Amino acid sequence: MSTPSSAQPTPSWSLAALYEAAADWAQHDGRTWIYLFKALAAAFLSLAIAMKLEMPQPRTAMTTVFIVMQPQSGAVFAKSFYRAGGTLVGLVVMLALLALFPQQPELFILATALWVGICTAGAARNRNFRSYGFVLAGYTAALIGIPASQHPDGALLSALTRVSEVLLGIVCAGVVSALVFPQHTGEQLRGTVRARFSSFVEYVGMVLGGRIERAQIEATNAQFIADIVGLEAMRSMAVFESPSARLRSGRLSRLNSEFMAASTRFHALHQLMNRLHMASAWSTIDTLEPYFKEIAPLLRKSGEPVLSAADANAAATQLEAYKTALPKRIRATRAELETTHPDAPLLDFDTASELLYRFVEDLHAYTATYASLAVMSHERERWAERYEPKTNLLSAGISGVRAAIVMCVLGAFWIATAWPSGTTLTLNAAAICALASSSPNPPRTAWQMALGTVLSSALAMLLTFGIYPHIDGFPLLCVALAPFLLLGVWMTTRPKLAGYGVGYCIYFCFLAGPDNLIVYDPMSFMNDALALVLSMLVTAFAFAVLLPPSSTWMRRRLLVDLRRQAVSVARGRLAGLRSRFESGTRDMMFQINALASEPAQKRETLRWLFAVLEVGNAIIDLRRAIDTLPHEPRYAASMPWRVQLRAMRDAVGKLFETPDARRLDRALIATTDAIAAVQQTLAAFDPPRAERHQLQRILSHAHFIRSALLDPQSPLGEMAAPGAPASSTTPSPPQGASDAS
Amino acid sequence: MPREIAVLDAYMPTIVLLFLAGAALTWFVDRILAFTGLYSFVWHPSLFRASLLVCVCGVLGLAVYR
Repeated sequence: MSTPSSAQPTPSWSLAALYEAAADWAQHDGRTWIYLFKALAAAFLSLAIAMKLEMPQPRTAMTTVFIVMQPQSGAVFAKSFYRAGGTLVGLVVMLALLALFPQQPELFILATALWVGICTAGAARNRNFRSYGFVLAGYTAALIGIPASQHPDGALLSALTRVSEVLLGIVCAGVVSALVFPQHTGEQLRGTVRARFSSFVEYVGMVLGGRIERAQIEATNAQFIADIVGLEAMRSMAVFESPSARLRSGRLSRLNSEFMAASTRFHALHQLMNRLHMASAWSTIDTLEPYFKEIAPLLRKSGEPVLSAADANAAATQLEAYKTALPKRIRATRAELETTHPDAPLLDFDTASELLYRFVEDLHAYTATYASLAVMSHERERWAERYEPKTNLLSAGISGVRAAIVMCVLGAFWIATAWPSGTTLTLNAAAICALASSSPNPPRTAWQMALGTVLSSALAMLLTFGIYPHIDGFPLLCVALAPFLLLGVWMTTRPKLAGYGVGYCIYFCFLAGPDNLIVYDPMSFMNDALALVLSMLVTAFAFAVLLPPSSTWMRRRLLVDLRRQAVSVARGRLAGLRSRFESGTRDMMFQINALASEPAQKRETLRWLFAVLEVGNAIIDLRRAIDTLPHEPRYAASMPWRVQLRAMRDAVGKLFETPDARRLDRALIATTDAIAAVQQTLAAFDPPRAERHQLQRILSHAHFIRSALLDPQSPLGEMAAPGAPASSTTPSPPQGASDAS
Repeated sequence: MPREIAVLDAYMPTIVLLFLAGAALTWFVDRILAFTGLYSFVWHPSLFRASLLVCVCGVLGLAVYR
């Protein structure tokens, strides 16, 4: 089972080499082995208790253990919590349905199919373990209800014992995984947070120093996105694990969101500088370059890289001082630039310096939150904005409809043929639909589970009729079960075999799980095994051909959704908008990448992501800046410059919805007009200083949108016709008298 | 204390209710201990918490079976 770790090239059997090999083994394979035995221990514990209490189906408790068991205890708690919740909801719904349709099997099947469909859609819509709650609410309903419907007189009791078996399995899995060699998500979380801070600092240093390739930038950013999604998942598990993680939960999600903001801002700044390079705007570049050189050293503690949250305090203080001094220095530089290069495009300088300031601000926030993690409680904990992982509504709806159809078809088959194993057939279809549709690639998962079940049927047959008759007593039972179960659990620990492993574990327990009084009935055993495999095959078939969101189609839909994100920021409440936008966009990108098979596709998505993030953030900034203007007639929403800005927003929105060269042209014209209108306002009113700065900020955001649209590296820039004026980064209207400082 | 209590006319073992109360109490105590930072001195926090639950529930159980 275990692969030989760290091969020794020479047969030098020194003690140190042996120790190293052992440590390496313990680091990797050792953990897997511990997990294998923990899973077995939890399963046998639940089996023993269920048998001791003479529950009618101890196998349900054992199956539950394998469903909720995960290597990390936080994950087990999270999964158990949602499983318990889902089970209870399923119980209530099923009791209602049983009471409503005790005599009408058709209506009962229809109602059950509807409920399973709703739950499956919910499971596909939500992510992480919340989706699991939906899976279980649907699955448990079928698990409890369909067998109970065969004996309506004992339905209540059978449903209740089923629930208590499930809860027993959950408790056993939780206790074993928390108490026996626990592997904490919290530790992993700490490691990830630390590694990400270091790698971001390194990345910033490398980019600002100009020593990085385009491919590497893309790879690093893709890694950051995977990290962001992973951190959110880990945070949601760690909350269940220890109070210390719960006390930090708000800060962790804040850290994630601030990291997103900082990395977007940094990327925007970097892109803008690239564009300036391409346009050979040397005077602007030369004046800003010294500032960039100053940032990287700020992220170090007296010359050393920041290694822990406690060290980050120093970096945060340095950044704060730098941030406070920055506006004054930039104004001085601007004045200098105006005198030395009177013809230099100040708009470029304004845009870049505004971005630089925002980046320093975001970076400071990120560093400060990171530093705050070192202590138990902190004022930065107050954080109301939430991470938003949601999947496409249409695809979730499709999963739900498909599950309902599968249930109806199998239910009709059951009613028509009066097959004794029809219960197994229908209830497992519900389980697999739900379990598979919350996985990234449902058809493959369903297919793998089917194959795992085929294997488990054969082995369960061997165990039940070949070995059970020869053994006696609980210890021997455990010995007999152990090798079969170990094989299944081991499969779940390998990412490539996980689908097979899940199918194997769950259905091996279902078929071969011992009852207190074992009934040897090969006929019904084979019927059940046949029903299991059949329901899996039907489900896999349904996933493949029924309402097929093929991965290409799905990917295209999600890409449209991703682009729409850029437009979505134009509406909605401003509070928390940025973190909703940033997290939603990245999460969508992550989902798209799960569907993409080729690196070229992933690169295309990433480039769209950057375009969406740049423009979306600029629109948010624009809205913020307009919001803070005083309520005066010249800033009213009906003023021409506001109208122009809205026209720009709409044109950009249309462009992102269906990008083509014509719309790009229109968006560019609208942007240029808006910039001209704002400049005119500035020149005409000559507002007081604070308001002038605000208007200049608006101007720089609009200018940034324009330069993002023209970026030849973005997917939009490629669309531009060859003759389009893609070379100029500054709009044609003169800077005018507005820039008198 | 009586060994069974009628909840909505259904007889329930008293210790079920007591253990529910015990779980709530343990959760409360756990939050307090976490806030005071005691858990950084504990070798195996989960084991500590599980034992705390057993102790609290056991003490409550003494009220019925003694």
